[in-house]
Amino acid sequence: MKLLGRTSLFYAAFSLVTYVVIAGSFYVLVERMIYREVEDRLKVERRDFEHFVRTHGIWEESCYFVEDKISLVSVSDTLKPLAEFKDTLMDNRYNRQLIPFREHTFYSAVGQGLYKVSIRKSLIESKSLLKSITVTLLITLSIGLLVLYLFQRRFSKVLWRPFYNTLAKAKAFDVSTGSALDLTAEPIYEFNELNSELEKMTEKISQDYRNLKEFTENASHEIQTPLALINSRVEELIQETNVAPKQMSWIQDIHESTLRLSRLNHALLLLSKIDNGQFYEREPINVNALIRSKLSALEEIFNLKGLTVSYKEEGTLVLPMNGILADALFTNLLNNSVKHNVRPGTIDIFIDDRKFVIRNSGDTLNENPEVLFERFRKHNQSSNSLGLGLAIVKKISDVHRLKISYTYSDRFHTFKLTPL
Amino acid sequence: MFSEFATIFTLLIPIELKILVIEDERVLAESIASHLSKEGFIVETVFSYDAAVEKVNLYAYDCVVVDINLPDGTGFDIVEILKKIKATSGIIIISARDALEDRIRSLEIGSDDYLTKPFHLSELNARVKAILRRRNFGGSNEISYQELRVNYNTRRVFVGENEISLSKKEYDLLLYFMSNVDIALTKASMAEHLWGDNIDSADSFDILYSQIKNLRKKLTDGGCSEYIHSIYGIGYKFGRN
Repeated sequence: MKLLGRTSLFYAAFSLVTYVVIAGSFYVLVERMIYREVEDRLKVERRDFEHFVRTHGIWEESCYFVEDKISLVSVSDTLKPLAEFKDTLMDNRYNRQLIPFREHTFYSAVGQGLYKVSIRKSLIESKSLLKSITVTLLITLSIGLLVLYLFQRRFSKVLWRPFYNTLAKAKAFDVSTGSALDLTAEPIYEFNELNSELEKMTEKISQDYRNLKEFTENASHEIQTPLALINSRVEELIQETNVAPKQMSWIQDIHESTLRLSRLNHALLLLSKIDNGQFYEREPINVNALIRSKLSALEEIFNLKGLTVSYKEEGTLVLPMNGILADALFTNLLNNSVKHNVRPGTIDIFIDDRKFVIRNSGDTLNENPEVLFERFRKHNQSSNSLGLGLAIVKKISDVHRLKISYTYSDRFHTFKLTPL
Repeated sequence: MFSEFATIFTLLIPIELKILVIEDERVLAESIASHLSKEGFIVETVFSYDAAVEKVNLYAYDCVVVDINLPDGTGFDIVEILKKIKATSGIIIISARDALEDRIRSLEIGSDDYLTKPFHLSELNARVKAILRRRNFGGSNEISYQELRVNYNTRRVFVGENEISLSKKEYDLLLYFMSNVDIALTKASMAEHLWGDNIDSADSFDILYSQIKNLRKKLTDGGCSEYIHSIYGIGYKFGRN
């Protein structure tokens, strides 16, 4: 949820509660005021009534009261307690409609008799007054809250703009460019702090990245150079004609080990370069075309090793990948299926627009499939393989958000590559 | 008088090709030099940027082999100097860095080839010769050894007047042999030359063996003498003995 959405939601919820509370308490308050006003007037009328009875000794219906607003009921005693004020509904004399009244009841002696006197006042006008006041209030309150809400949204947007600018820049930050974020100074203290902290942080990250990159490359250089020296001297020795066969076979061992060391160094360098994110350029890779060209390059080896290769495509798989890494990934998968095959054996490749599947016949798997993708995990420890092929496959899949999975069933090894 | 004589003299004998090796690792520079000298090139070596700049400004070389990382400069700058003075030298960059950007940059500034350390001396030799061939030193587009003739423009191979048809890999193999006459070639260097990183080395030796068998058969069937000799444990040698 966006910050603006969240604040708006809080604001709306808070406004709604405020709105209900204000409207409710206002209604109750106004109603009480109206009642007090009506009751005061009823008390005045009671005084008028008592004054009239005192001076005249009797009560005349027709005196000055119109409507049926005062009634006298003869009672024998005044012991029964009375509700002094109460609401009541009475028929309108003209159209038989029930209308609300406020009634004031008291005992009074008129002449010789005791009476229960009830004075009533219509509440109809007061009620409609209350209604119109409430409606007016609600409308103005709603407009006020709405205006405030819109203003707050607008204001938040302006207020948070520097934050969103920073966020956009942070998102676009690419460590492989080697430069830190360049953020503008902000008048707001917190944002300014955030920006300067981010700048410091990205500067440090870029610095570390550059150091690491330099280190791996320097290390590789430092290793490759002595290897090149050994290699060149060994090759010169090989040209010598007066070396005994036994010594020549030692030289040959040195030569092969040097080459192996060099390949190992290359493979480890590749892994660390991928880790460093140095292969960040992406282009659409047509897997079908890549596989077809790889297969034709490997045709000799398939024939030589007695492998039957079937290639089937039911769609074109195009993946956004780094060209070099895509090449390394599929080369390693194909080499793996050749290396761990049997003779005669099969390799089946299937491609559609969602997946690449390669299945090869082979020996039974003695290893936990989970550890297959780890570095230096070799099927046969003494074999000539470096044990890095599948680790490279896994690493390349990871950086391209591809899923590589392995399944084994009945002497068939299957690798499946799918975009996540 | 004397210069006239010199001109006539150079026309009569096979042209001697001059190669400059710029490499700060003296041992490596020495081995490169001794290997290329055996091929009949005149090789000079320098170990620093400054010495290299002096040399290329003073003399003309047919091919320059230059390391990128020198203690007092970079090989790229030397390539740029060569281009600026419009030298016709072929240029091979050698580097310990197998970085794509270096590879691209070196080709962009006009070098002809890029080789990553460690490399096989026979590979360097083959590449030097390929560059010299491309630049048409010697005026012909053929290389020959005894009765074998290869036209590298049309990629056709002849034994005497008989044409032999070879597969692409067999052709590459033959050309590699003919660039390294009388040199013991290791299986690894041949496999790398033919397939690069595409095939695991263990497998590539097997294919190499079958390729060589095929090439031998085609050559002898075409009437060629046996020039490919195997050296036990090492690889092969191309030559009369």
